[in-house]
Amino acid sequence: MSNINHKTYAMNAITPMKSWKTWIVRAFFLILGAVKPLQKDLVQLSFIHFARWVIIKRSKFPHADSQQPEEKLKYDYLLFFSNFNGTWNQYIDAFSAVLSTGLNLIWHWSEKFPGSVPVTPFKQYIARCQFDTDYYYTAYPYATTNDVKAAHRVQDALDAFEKESARKTAEEFARSYRKFVLAVQCDLGQTGKAPVGT
Amino acid sequence: MANQSGDVYGLTILSPILQDLTAETSHNCAIRMKLASMPGDESSPFAKVSSTHMARLVVMDDVVYVGMPSCEEHLKSQYLVFETNFDGELDEYLTRMAREIPADVDALWQHCWGYPGTKDVAAFIAYMKKCQITTTFYFADVNNHTVQETLTALQTQAAVAEFIERNQGKAAAELQIAFAHFLEKLRKAPPPVPGRPEKGGPPRIETNMKWATRNAANTKQVTPNE
Repeated sequence: MSNINHKTYAMNAITPMKSWKTWIVRAFFLILGAVKPLQKDLVQLSFIHFARWVIIKRSKFPHADSQQPEEKLKYDYLLFFSNFNGTWNQYIDAFSAVLSTGLNLIWHWSEKFPGSVPVTPFKQYIARCQFDTDYYYTAYPYATTNDVKAAHRVQDALDAFEKESARKTAEEFARSYRKFVLAVQCDLGQTGKAPVGT
Repeated sequence: MANQSGDVYGLTILSPILQDLTAETSHNCAIRMKLASMPGDESSPFAKVSSTHMARLVVMDDVVYVGMPSCEEHLKSQYLVFETNFDGELDEYLTRMAREIPADVDALWQHCWGYPGTKDVAAFIAYMKKCQITTTFYFADVNNHTVQETLTALQTQAAVAEFIERNQGKAAAELQIAFAHFLEKLRKAPPPVPGRPEKGGPPRIETNMKWATRNAANTKQVTPNE
């Protein structure tokens, strides 16, 4: 089992939904995808590299061979996969505190979902629906989402500074350099091992 | 399409796992043993398929029962779940998997119903697509940069921090020359390696950034009795 690869945690969860309710969830996701401001909280949390929700209709579990027994299910299922920085507790706490309305709109339609507030029954529900990751790979194991975003800002600033500072006198260069340093100074955090306890 | 966010593709595959009651090692167990032996760093097969940002493989044993009054039900097969986030198009990615890491792919998916192997790339792609589930909603925080661009940016970030620290207080002319050398060195640096958990992130140009520890050492410790 390897839910964690250095600074990133791979979470999987599956929840049952009555078939007629999945259309409501689909409609919500359609709106969430189309209206970008609705994703503001998710973006501002800034510790999720990638996340996805996948609805599987009860009759649509892959059937790859004629001899494979066919699934006969009563429920559709909502799968959730997330790649986030920090601990499971930090993640669920932040979800509950910041995204409670959005989460309720998504999981309210799953069987026996208790709501994302208060957090204790919410955590119990997630723990029950979660299953462990057997193998996890990340291309940048020592970098958080914030590190990645900051690094791209530094790269962009450096590229711009390189162009701008070409053919300048030493004095002009030094002035531009100071502006460059001021621009990137907040984005120079160092990547490395995750803090102890995460 | 919800499988994509910007330039990043989110692939979700559920492959039904074979059942054989007479097998000495069950197929799901064989998959788990193989997964446990696979490295998660730069030696990972997914580091070879270098457009992979993040990937996971999971054996899903069953659906969950959340208690009364919902109904208890069970899957007839276990499923190998493959969740990956990569740059570019699906066909190209699956082709790379079949051509660049065939041994690992075959070792895992040979335990699944209907798996055709990687030798026939077209059949492999068709099989994977048959087992693909369309993502309903996909979120990628950074969706406009490739893996290589991100690794290069992380390398640049570390190098810039070190350059700024080393060149504080230098005269303008000296600073300009140092910066030109720095850029040249940065451009010639070897490309960062995906998946490498190296201190300071991806390989750095220079590795003597000690301001944090130096500052800590210079800070006088104040005890409550002082």
